[in-house]
Amino acid sequence: MDFTLSEERKMLQETVGKFFNSNYKNIDKRSENVNLPEGYSKEFWKESSDLGVISALVSPKFGGLGGSGEDISIIFELVGKSLCVEPFLSSAVLSSTVLSSISNPRNDLITDIIEGNLLISFAHCEMNNRYEDHYIETNAHLKNDEWNINGTKSFVMNGDDASKIIVSARINGDVNDRDGIGLFLVDNDQTLKRPYNTIDGYRSTELTFENSKGELLAKDENALKCIIKANSAGALALSAEALGIMQICFDLTLDYLKTRKQFGKSIGAFQSIQHRMVDMMLEIEQVKSAVMLASSTFETDDLTRDKNISAAKNLVGRVGKLIAEETIQLHGGIAMTWEYSAAHYAKRLIMIDHLMGDSDYHRDRFKLLSNF
Amino acid sequence: MVIKMNFEYSEKDENFRKEVKDWLDETLPKSLSEKVKKYQRLTKEDYEIFMNNLTAKGWLAWHWPKEYGGTGWNAIEKHIFEEEIIKASAPRIVPFGVNMLGPVLIEFGTEEQKNYYLPRILSNEDWWAQGYSEPGAGSDLASLKTTAVDKGDHYLVNGQKTWTTLGHHADKIFCLVKTDLNAKPQLGISFLLIDMDTPGVEVKPIITLDGEHEVNEVWFTNVKVPKKNIVGKENEGWTYAKYLLTFERTGIAGVPYSKSALNHLKMISKRSLKNGKPLIEDPIFSSEIAELEIDLLAMEIFNLRTVSAAAEGKAPGMESSLLKIKGTLVRQKTTELLRKALGPQALPYLPEQFDEGWNEMPVGPSYAGPIAKQYFNMRKISIYGGSNEIQKNIVAKASFGL
Repeated sequence: MDFTLSEERKMLQETVGKFFNSNYKNIDKRSENVNLPEGYSKEFWKESSDLGVISALVSPKFGGLGGSGEDISIIFELVGKSLCVEPFLSSAVLSSTVLSSISNPRNDLITDIIEGNLLISFAHCEMNNRYEDHYIETNAHLKNDEWNINGTKSFVMNGDDASKIIVSARINGDVNDRDGIGLFLVDNDQTLKRPYNTIDGYRSTELTFENSKGELLAKDENALKCIIKANSAGALALSAEALGIMQICFDLTLDYLKTRKQFGKSIGAFQSIQHRMVDMMLEIEQVKSAVMLASSTFETDDLTRDKNISAAKNLVGRVGKLIAEETIQLHGGIAMTWEYSAAHYAKRLIMIDHLMGDSDYHRDRFKLLSNF
Repeated sequence: MVIKMNFEYSEKDENFRKEVKDWLDETLPKSLSEKVKKYQRLTKEDYEIFMNNLTAKGWLAWHWPKEYGGTGWNAIEKHIFEEEIIKASAPRIVPFGVNMLGPVLIEFGTEEQKNYYLPRILSNEDWWAQGYSEPGAGSDLASLKTTAVDKGDHYLVNGQKTWTTLGHHADKIFCLVKTDLNAKPQLGISFLLIDMDTPGVEVKPIITLDGEHEVNEVWFTNVKVPKKNIVGKENEGWTYAKYLLTFERTGIAGVPYSKSALNHLKMISKRSLKNGKPLIEDPIFSSEIAELEIDLLAMEIFNLRTVSAAAEGKAPGMESSLLKIKGTLVRQKTTELLRKALGPQALPYLPEQFDEGWNEMPVGPSYAGPIAKQYFNMRKISIYGGSNEIQKNIVAKASFGL
C-alpha cells in the first residue's frame, strides 16, 4: 500500500498551489473577481490555462495531461483553499467529462476548453429536478431535420459567459423516465439568460430555450451515462474542494483559539474547546480518507466509482455542516463579519451541499448502489 | 391565573390573547407585516410605526410596573403578548431602551433620571443602543477597556464598543465603562448614559456575512459626559449590567419564531419536489421534521413551566440558560432544514429583493430567496447575549457543586 502522491503530482500540487495563492491573496481579492462582469477573472482563467491547470483536469486521451481522480482532487482541494470562482467545475470538469464520454468524443471542443479559448457550461439542473440525473422537463424534438430545444434550465454555472451550452433534454417518454434523454450542444446566443450570483459568490444563470437549435451529442443510454459521469465527476471535485475548505477553516479556527484571550488566557486553553477541535480534526481525516478512496476508484467500473463518490459527498455534506458551524461558533462574532475570510469559507462549505447532490441524495444513492 | 396541570390557559388569558390579536389585526399595517414576512430590510420608520402604535395603546413598556407607565403584566401575559406579536409578523420591539435600560433606571436611577428618560423612552423620542461588548471583551465582558476618567464636572470617555445593534439609528447609548483602572475586572465598572451627538462619538458599520448592515462599532475619542449621566454608584455598574441581562433573556427560547419556521418548513416541504413527488413524502426528511417538532413541543412546555413559575414570583435561574441553549439550537435547526428542503433553489442570492418595493420575478419560488441568508444570519443567536458556551458555564457553576 502507498498513500503518498507521486513526485509528478506533488509538483503539480505545489505549482498550482503557489499560482492560486499569488492570485487569491485574500478575501478582498476574491470579492474583486466575484464582482467582475462575468463573475470571475478572465485573466486568471487564461493564466490557469497557460500554466496547464485546465489540462490537468483532462485525460491525455482527449488532449489533456491528467484527468484522473487524483488529478481532479489535487486541483480542487486547492480551488477550495483559495475559494477561487473561475469556471473549473462548469467548463473543465462537467462539460469536458460529457464531451469525452459521448460515443464520438469531441476532442476539438475539449482542446479549445483546455486552451482557455472556449467556455462551455453544462445545463442539466432544472427548478424541479433537485439532484436527479434523469428527471428532465426540458424537451427536444426534430423538425425539418433540426433539433429544437424548449424549456428552462436552472443553476447553470457560468451560463451567462459560456459561448456554448451542453443541455440535457427529453426526446421522448415521461419526465421521470430513465430512457429517452438526449444531450445537445447549443450556441449560447440562442438562449434567454438570467444571470445572478449565488450566496457563496459564484455566478449562476437561468437559461431559457425557445426552439433553440441543438446538435445531438448523445441519446438514450449513452446520454444518461454521460450525465451520471459528469455529475459524479462534479461531486468528486466538490468533495475535494470541500476538503480544502475544511482544512482552511480548521487552521483559521486553531489560530484564533491561540490568539484570542478571554478570562486571562487564550480561549484554546479551555478543554471543552480543545475537545471540539479534536472532533473537527478527526472528521476532516475521515473526509480526506473518503476523498482519497473516491479519487483512486474514479477510473474503475461505474458502480464502484459512483458508490465511493456518493460515500465521499455524503460525508462531505455532514462534516461540512459541522466544520462550517463550529468554525463560526468557536470564533464568535468575528466570523459573522463579511470582512473576515472564515465567513466566506463557511458559506461555500455549506452551499457545496446544495450542488451535485446533497448528503441525503448521496446517502440514498449509496444505499441503492450497495443493494441495501 | 396560573397554568394548571391540564396545560391550558385560563379563560382570562385566552381573552387577553384575543385582545392582543384583535388589536394587531386592526393596527399593524399589512405592508409592514409583509415586509417582515419577506425578510425585507426595515427602516428606522418601520420600527417606529409599530412602537408608536404600542405607545398609543399603552403597551410599549410591557416589562414595566404600572406606576411608571408600564403594563404591569404577569409572566403569562407577557408570554402571550410576545407570542402574538411574532405570529402577526410585527417588527420586533427594539429592546434597548424599553426592555433593557428602562428596568435598570426604574430600579437604580435617580428621580431626575427617571423623570427625564422614562417618558422619552415611552414616547419613542430616544432611540437607545447598548454599549457592552468590546473587541477584546465578548464572553469575558468584565475585561472591558473603555475608560471614563473623572474630570471634576464630567467624565472623559475613550474606547470602543462593538456589535452595537442598530446603533446607526441611535440617539443615545448606555455604556459599561471602566472608572477604576486598578480595581479587579468586575469592580471598577460604571454604567454611563452617553448622547450620540457628543463630539468624539463615531459610528462605523459592520457588514455581516449575509451582506447586511445591522451592527456597528462605536468609537469614543475624548468624549465629555456630564457626571449626572452615571446610573447608580460609581464602580458598581457590573451589578446593574447583570440586572439588565436578566431582562435581555426574556423570551430567549424563541418558541414562537421556531413554531412559525416549522410551519413554513412544512409548507415548503410540500411544494419542493424530490423525484417528482413532494419532499414531505420522503420518509427520512419527514422524520427529521417530526423530530424537530417533538423537540419544539417539549421546549414549549419547558418554556411554559418557567413562565408559569415566574408568574408565581419564582425568578428563573438556570432555566433561562438552558432555554437559551436549546432555543437557539432548535431555531437554528429550523433554518437548516428549510435550507435543505430547497435543494439547489437555496443557491440564488439577489440582495435587491430585500429592498422595499422590489417586485421583479424571483429566481425560483418566491419563498426561496431569504432561506440561505437566514440560515447564515441565525448563526449569531448561539453567539450573542452570552454564547451557549458561557450559558453552559453558568449552569454548571450554579447547579453541580463541583
